[in-house]
Amino acid sequence: MLSSKPPPVTLCITSGKGGVGKTSLTVNLAFALVKKGDRVLVVDGDLGLANVDVLLGLSVKRTIRDVLDSGADPLESVIYLEPNLGVLPASSGVPEMVTLGPEDQNRLGNVLTTLSRHFHYALIDTAAGIGPSVLWFNRFVNRNIIVLSPDPASLTDSYALIKILSRDHNRKNFHLIVNLANSDREGLQAYETLEKVAKKYLNLDLQFLGTVPDDRSVHKAVRGRYPFIQKTPQSKASQALFDLADRIRMLKEMTS
Amino acid sequence: MDRLFDSQEKCPSTNQECPVFDEVRRLREECKRLQELTQVDTLTGLFNFRYLMMALEGEMERTRRTGLSTGLIMSDVDHFKRINDTHGHESGNKALQWIGKVWHEKLRRIDMACRYGGEEFVVILPGTRLPQAIRAAERLRFALENSPVRLNGKPVRLTASFGVDAYRGRKKLNVETFIKQTDHFLLEAKAKGRNRVCYDENKITLAIEGLTSDEREALFATRRPEK
Repeated sequence: MLSSKPPPVTLCITSGKGGVGKTSLTVNLAFALVKKGDRVLVVDGDLGLANVDVLLGLSVKRTIRDVLDSGADPLESVIYLEPNLGVLPASSGVPEMVTLGPEDQNRLGNVLTTLSRHFHYALIDTAAGIGPSVLWFNRFVNRNIIVLSPDPASLTDSYALIKILSRDHNRKNFHLIVNLANSDREGLQAYETLEKVAKKYLNLDLQFLGTVPDDRSVHKAVRGRYPFIQKTPQSKASQALFDLADRIRMLKEMTS
Repeated sequence: MDRLFDSQEKCPSTNQECPVFDEVRRLREECKRLQELTQVDTLTGLFNFRYLMMALEGEMERTRRTGLSTGLIMSDVDHFKRINDTHGHESGNKALQWIGKVWHEKLRRIDMACRYGGEEFVVILPGTRLPQAIRAAERLRFALENSPVRLNGKPVRLTASFGVDAYRGRKKLNVETFIKQTDHFLLEAKAKGRNRVCYDENKITLAIEGLTSDEREALFATRRPEK
């Protein structure tokens, strides 16, 4: 009996260096995808969502460890911000489990795979840099999203990240998002720079997902700790995110 | 096993003038001395080759089970023969003792420093990844260079070359091969001029420097401000 449901797309969202707005991007992208009609799971791989107020006031659910030990349904550790938007916060124990030994990582992998099947997309927000947990999440997913800002330091760190992931961890499909850009042109230039160097030195084809402009409403939202895409859906940044969501949905159609 | 060295032990029949007690105590001390002999290098006080092989095997197995890397540093004193030739045979030994002492202070309690051969030393760093191991080797290099030994009343500058590698448990590697791999980097350090630390640059992460100069140049050259 063939299942008509396509497999979930699991995306890892990483940046070489911190401060590029990765976590905010992840949360808002999740909301954008939900608005388009998909069921999305956001996994906080880094305690990045610990400060997102939307999560406060919601009851602490079971941790992954509880789930594994008691044989309970892993869905019990998911918090729902909306009927189609689930979050596995850091308190679920996911970030900790990744830093433990290979056995725990295997068990975690199985749980995440099981959970993802209840959604169309699983977005995993990792820590910045190249630590062991970042590497593990990047190996786990189907597709790797790299977020960068258009400055030289971010470009260098993103390139180094891509180099390590492709050379040492067998990742070949990278999708770039340039955040905090002054213009679409600036975003495109940053992507093209990386694309040329990666093609020449790593023999890799990097894909461009798009640019998200630097927008005052975003900073305000981050300070106020709410998702900007809900509060100011008409802003340039929000529009860019809806476009990103569209492109990600097109990726899904390409996934076998 | 520990009970063997319990010096508080009294004669079981509480005989204050037990004739055998002294003999037993002497034998216990001799056993302890012999046990140390099998593990320790008498000149430097560091572990010996035999212990190194055993310990390294244990740490590599631990790595395979826990996923925590084992770091390995192999080093060789630079121009060691010159020391003996210039300052006399005893000087060589003094220098080695000095090196053992300087390095012992720079390592953690869990690290195992061993005298590997004549003038070669190996350090096992449990639970340590490559970048950390490299930093440790660099500390040893720097400490030695800046701690001249006193030979015949004169300060003599000592340096050493270092090769560093780390085992992550992924490949099925044995002790001999791991040592050989690391030794390769020690040879590279010698070839490149001595008094330096060498390692597999491809394995190094963002933490140290991940890009070749070609790559760096390419990333910045294409960012010339125009239009």
